[in-house]
Amino acid sequence: MAHRNDVSLEHTGRLGADRRAFVLGAAAGALALPSLARAALLAPQERKTKHVVLVAFAGGVRTRETFGTPGNVPTLEALAKDGVLYKRVKSSNLGHFGAALSIFTGISEARGIRENARGGDPTLFEYVRKDGGLSASEVWISTSGGAQQTNYSYGLHPDYGARYGANTVDGDGLFNAEFKSILDAWGRPKTLPQREAELLGRMRGAIGGGASGAGDDSARVEKYILDELTSGTADIRGANAADAKAIRVARNLLVLFKPRLVSIVLQQADAAHGSYNGYVEIIRRNDEALGDLWRAVRADPELRDSTAFVILPEFGRDADLNSRRGLDHGDGSNDLEYVTATCWGPDFARNRIIEDDVQAIDVCPTVCELLGASATKARGKRLPRLYA
Amino acid sequence: MRALGLSLALLGFALVASPPARAQSGATEAAPARALDDAALRAACFDLLGRPPLEPERAEWLGRARHEFLDHWLARRETWANWVEEQLYFFLLIDNFRPENERVAELPTLLAAGKLDVRTAIHRIALSPSFDQRNPGADTFVTVVMEQLNGLRVQKNVRELEVGKGIYDGRPGTFLGKSGSTQADVLRIAIEDRSFSQQFLVREHRRIVRAEPEKGTLAELARRFQRDPAEFRAILREWMLSSAWDERVRSRTSAPNRMWIAALHVDLLGREPLPEEARRLRTALDGLSDTGPLRSVLARVLIDSGQVKLPSKEAIADPTRWIADLFARLLGRAASPDELRAFVAAFHEPECRPQTVLYALVTHPEYQTY
Repeated sequence: MAHRNDVSLEHTGRLGADRRAFVLGAAAGALALPSLARAALLAPQERKTKHVVLVAFAGGVRTRETFGTPGNVPTLEALAKDGVLYKRVKSSNLGHFGAALSIFTGISEARGIRENARGGDPTLFEYVRKDGGLSASEVWISTSGGAQQTNYSYGLHPDYGARYGANTVDGDGLFNAEFKSILDAWGRPKTLPQREAELLGRMRGAIGGGASGAGDDSARVEKYILDELTSGTADIRGANAADAKAIRVARNLLVLFKPRLVSIVLQQADAAHGSYNGYVEIIRRNDEALGDLWRAVRADPELRDSTAFVILPEFGRDADLNSRRGLDHGDGSNDLEYVTATCWGPDFARNRIIEDDVQAIDVCPTVCELLGASATKARGKRLPRLYA
Repeated sequence: MRALGLSLALLGFALVASPPARAQSGATEAAPARALDDAALRAACFDLLGRPPLEPERAEWLGRARHEFLDHWLARRETWANWVEEQLYFFLLIDNFRPENERVAELPTLLAAGKLDVRTAIHRIALSPSFDQRNPGADTFVTVVMEQLNGLRVQKNVRELEVGKGIYDGRPGTFLGKSGSTQADVLRIAIEDRSFSQQFLVREHRRIVRAEPEKGTLAELARRFQRDPAEFRAILREWMLSSAWDERVRSRTSAPNRMWIAALHVDLLGREPLPEEARRLRTALDGLSDTGPLRSVLARVLIDSGQVKLPSKEAIADPTRWIADLFARLLGRAASPDELRAFVAAFHEPECRPQTVLYALVTHPEYQTY
């Protein structure tokens, strides 16, 4: 049995052809779904939203430094003005990892701050892929926080799990100049003649009875990674470099692959522990990078009228400065526990401000519903008064 | 086909009963208890050294008793350097947060010489400025200490968390039953607490044996460790001589990126990666949830780089034996008759190069397990 990823680097087909294959594959997958799941998938097709960008503006960001100081976040301001702003989103101080994970699972569950392991609950990525019959290339997470954040891609629930997980790319981990220099030193893999590629596929297929499980998605991811390494992402510098790379990776993924769901997890605002000014600077720069992403979406004919944004921090920060003139997160104040969520998209209301309390765990069922999936294990509710 | 099966059986015998080092002696000896075959040797090296055996090590240890191997390596710096790496990774003290001070750098040497125990070693790691920088502020610091050192969920131990935070800020208090008034006291109390022994042993048992320790056994081990943390070396030895570890050898799980990187270098280049090489590759791989595609790319890039020494096709007089040895060396197991048949048939095609055979093995998902 041949595996396409063995010869991925010989693939020179244009992305357009790949896209068509995705669409055909997804359509075939939908037809094969049980009737209930198919109904759930088909219902929202009347909506204009076909793509969702979910941004965990994480690292602990207070509303005081975002909508409380509008000059810091002109992009968020503009999105909110043209969309829906939830002013009181209850989050939980579960540590960065647990709090961000709860956005994706719709369940507030205690996780260790440095726990480098997957959760037991399904994530919205798994719901969307399973219910929608989507391939891995349709669902991505772009992170900036390193190894721990790859655990967001899927949980360990027996009904879901790895086979429905998102592709996770950590921008700063993968697209750093040092790694690129290794590839520059080693060189690129050589293109195999067709017959040799066939023999390779035959031998690989023979190992362990042929159940290796790699497929077209892996081949596309391989190609994307190698292409991205040669672009400018690895060269991004500055106080928010890791966050900026995560946003840049998401932008490139969106424009190239047109996936249904891209999530971005930022992290560097946590510099606030030691420097208030550094923290504010990172917020400003991340807002600017989100502005680039938003512009790219609006400039793309396929994305501009079909893409929704949902943006919120995982939690805020303490009300008062610490002894280092920084901001920790542990005082139980409203500044810590309530954040602001911004929603913008073709189906959402415009210039609507919601003052009522909602919860960060409401995001998971909301995004799932937007994409025709059902977050059956989530404990949050759909965000109220979101639609026009 | 019968001839192939026969040659495979002979080869299997040769690999198991006549490991290279012992075959040369010519002496007739009874097989030692728990003799190391390729699977056990590869697993033991991964567990202790974080990498597969180098070729001279494989030649030296195949067929010898497991306890001899353990006695040798548990007294070596390399083993404890790998153990320290495991701890740093557990605390996510990697990359910019890696402790660079002398007190942490000397840990492997002191541990190998028995001049320091693992509990003191972890205490030193946690006292390093890197640990403080990684976990800034009272809330984060005390939460991480309670969670990672003591296995306590802070949401269920709110009072302890609040007291710990007070002590961190210099207010005297009683944390985990002991008095303290400084940030260092929080660490000392946490590490001396019995919950640390329990949490540490559970974590290490999972890593080495890939199973939860039985409750009664854990309680006894925790008592032993709490009395004398230097006992950990003996405990580790017992685990790796147990039937539970035999079971671990038979199970396969995905190799962490750092192990896969080490394996690729050892297996293809005959050397360990330089720390900088390993760090760069690991950072890149850690950035992906599904590392399979990138691992395949990297393996092929390395083979194509010309750094991997391979015999020419003409120089391989017995392709069956060469391929069987690659299976044993790279996958830690004998090739099945079907696998061997498919590989040998492909090898005899003119377009197949020795590199093609190597691609097939090291880009396969099985190579990514250990």
